[in-house]
Amino acid sequence: MGKIETNSPEMFIEEMERINSPLPERINTGPENIEAGLGKLVLTLIELIRTLMERQAMRRMEKGSLSDIEIERIGETLMKLENKVQELKELLGIKDEELNLNLGPLGNLM
Amino acid sequence: MSIYIYGIIDSNDRIDESIKGLNGIPVSYIPYKDISLVISSFNGDIQDITKIKVLEHEDVLDRLMEKFTVLPFRFRTLYNREEDVVSMLKDFYNDFSEDLGRLRNKAEFDIKVIWSGDKIIEEITSDYDRDRDISAGDESRGKLFMEQAYNKYKIDREFEERANICITVIDNFFSRFASEKKLEKLKSKNLLLDAFYLVDKERQGDFKEAFDSLKASSSDLQYLFSGPWPPYNFVRIEYGKD
Repeated sequence: MGKIETNSPEMFIEEMERINSPLPERINTGPENIEAGLGKLVLTLIELIRTLMERQAMRRMEKGSLSDIEIERIGETLMKLENKVQELKELLGIKDEELNLNLGPLGNLM
Repeated sequence: MSIYIYGIIDSNDRIDESIKGLNGIPVSYIPYKDISLVISSFNGDIQDITKIKVLEHEDVLDRLMEKFTVLPFRFRTLYNREEDVVSMLKDFYNDFSEDLGRLRNKAEFDIKVIWSGDKIIEEITSDYDRDRDISAGDESRGKLFMEQAYNKYKIDREFEERANICITVIDNFFSRFASEKKLEKLKSKNLLLDAFYLVDKERQGDFKEAFDSLKASSSDLQYLFSGPWPPYNFVRIEYGKD
């Protein structure tokens, strides 16, 4: 058996548990929890799109290629989207760290 | 009765003494040309193979590694019919041989490194807040939202740049002793690096010494060294199935 050597076993156990625990291997959808299961999947995708939009906007801000009016308009849109996602999360009882998917060898979606 | 697969060895020879596999059932070998598949019979469903049995799986591979080069199969690889197993062995023979050749006399080592990610973010944030122009006046909601998001974006990027510098230093200690590597950075804010290195048996002593000198050179980081393991992360062909 391979050897394990560390100067801080507790920290590694805690960290690995934290990384592995919130991500289910499969989305649990059954007749009784279909809403929450699908809601989680849809919200994960919305959150992914929102994050991509936000990053794109940040890159454009950095380059200075957005006018003040565009910044205002994009900001309003992203803010409303974030608020809406937040509302839906509360409605479906979904935590922030649950909005992710384990894509196996590709890693996590977000 | 199903067939549980542990891996493939680069020989049609076998270990003389019996090796016990899952549920204490002795392993057997299916030879084909110059390689063999190592299996044991399994009575039950895949759900019966709980995570606790991973040590039994690992134990078989360790025993095999003492004598052979091993191509490990994923934990929980179960086939229903022997003819499917034999046909898989024949169909993928060339790929298995190629992988075995590449991995001959090599083993995998894992290096994990924890840094104070939370503290570093705090530090970057406070540096950034100090330097920032806080004379913002009556800005609209959208613009304010974008400014906050932009600040966070810059802080995240600075954090990532610091992580990359640190990872490059750590990787320099090990990569010269490895023939292949896989680096996963920042799986969480604090887990700076989860790295897998494929190391030749002759260089494993040097690799361990590199870890010891890295450990001695920095007290701010926490390290975990593990190995030698079967080269799970360096098998190229995906042949296991649930």
